[in-house]
Amino acid sequence: MRVIEVDQLRVVYPNKDGDRVALDGVSLGIGSESVALLGPNGAGKSTLMGVLAGTLTHESGTIRRNYENGLGVVFQTPAVDDLLTIGENLSLAGALHGMTKDACGESTQRLLTALEIADRVDQQVRHLSGGLKRRADLARALLPGPGLLLLDEPTSGLDVEARASLWSALNSIRKDAEMAVVFATHLTEEASKADRVVLLAEGKVVVDGPPRELIETLGPHVLRVRTKEVEAIEAWSKEIGCVSVSRGDDVLISHAKPEYAGRCPGDPESVTLASPTLEDVYLWHARLNSLGGAS
Amino acid sequence: MNGIGAAIALGKRELIRQVRQPSRILASLLTPLLVWGFFAGGFSSAIGQGNTDQNLTAYMIPGVASLTVMFASIFASISLIQDRHDGVLRAALISPAPRWSIVMGKVGAGALVAMLQGLVILAALPFLGVELSVVGVIGACIGLALISVALIGLGLGLAWIVDSSQGFHGIMNAVLMPMWLTSGAVFPVNDAAGWLRILAMINPLTWMHSSIRGSLGMPGIEGTPNGLDWVISLAFAGACVVLATVVMGRASPPK
Repeated sequence: MRVIEVDQLRVVYPNKDGDRVALDGVSLGIGSESVALLGPNGAGKSTLMGVLAGTLTHESGTIRRNYENGLGVVFQTPAVDDLLTIGENLSLAGALHGMTKDACGESTQRLLTALEIADRVDQQVRHLSGGLKRRADLARALLPGPGLLLLDEPTSGLDVEARASLWSALNSIRKDAEMAVVFATHLTEEASKADRVVLLAEGKVVVDGPPRELIETLGPHVLRVRTKEVEAIEAWSKEIGCVSVSRGDDVLISHAKPEYAGRCPGDPESVTLASPTLEDVYLWHARLNSLGGAS
Repeated sequence: MNGIGAAIALGKRELIRQVRQPSRILASLLTPLLVWGFFAGGFSSAIGQGNTDQNLTAYMIPGVASLTVMFASIFASISLIQDRHDGVLRAALISPAPRWSIVMGKVGAGALVAMLQGLVILAALPFLGVELSVVGVIGACIGLALISVALIGLGLGLAWIVDSSQGFHGIMNAVLMPMWLTSGAVFPVNDAAGWLRILAMINPLTWMHSSIRGSLGMPGIEGTPNGLDWVISLAFAGACVVLATVVMGRASPPK
């Protein structure tokens, strides 16, 4: 069952120097799964999150919502009040969602325990570290038990440990809840942990599917060549029946065979053969769509 | 959806914020007190008593109280701009709580704080020879609260549209300061020149001041039906809250 479905969504930012199309014909159906919206800055991720959250209007297209207990949103910067304690913030969130005092208290206790910040309940948010503040914000968003959780680059500004810890806490909560999770990120490592990845570029969905399937589209190996003779490498990749995309002096060749690594023509600075990753998929489609660099 | 519960929770949040940042209260009180000191001290001997029963120092007190309320109201409504982009309000806006509850929470708490600050200023009246009654003080409090409700409502609506602190400050100063200056806050409206009297009479703040002055046994607008100042005060405050609710009810267009 689809939790949320958008069809031919179009969002335009008015500008006196010419309107900018932020989303152009985006169609997506999301069930009880985790979906990563991946894309470079300006790809339309935050705009799509804003429209899904209902905080931004769209010019055309339709949105169908089918979830219970409302929507939870974790914004790029935490939406908890710095001057309030964690407990006061969650109490406010509960009141905004029409929760009873008992239900709110029970949910607060459960979430803060799961997020390992139960001992900080009476601490003002301004005295918390960035990572703890994020967890408090996640607790706020999860409090009503939303059917859809939107996270807009929730780990921006966090160090590696705090980032890992936040995802680990969210995943443990997700196990017990029937909930769709949509998160925007520009980190392929984060996106690779989702059930499904939607790659956005220039306001359009470029590719959409499970990370493993997307990675498989590049074949068993990719060859990455750094060279000054980009055209020669591209021509060679055609000769051997492969497809390449390039940006600057970096050429990425899909469906490579291990033996190709030693056969690169010219005098490349480096040649790397590896199993493809989601980062390769990202680079592949970003180059393909923004530069038209396929050959 | 329990909109009242959401409004109370949002109001409680505003009050906690006030208590935990006392500098905001101090700033709201300090400027009006300075204005009062300069105007009353500088002009009272020069322009005399007019047709008021008190000297200018006492005459200006209700006006200074309303200026205090005005500053407090501007603080209360300008917080909407930051709150909407970086703060808790983003979560409130996507919650099932009705928009009117957000307006009520902001207006209710803001008006309570502003009224208490205005009351601090009114406490100077007995020392300036004005006798106060309990009923009179209650009436003045209601009058101050109505001014705050109106100005916060107006401010919230404007903050929603303007969406920048600088723009908001510019417009509020351009609108509110002339409103305050022509409202009988610093001179008796009854003695004003013709054009100024016309401006004062179409200014809702003049009627709000009149209702406060009337409660305190001070002269208000002369030659108008009894209670008209209260009717206009209530209507203006109600209209501003409705305006804020309607404006904030709209989703944001992309910018």
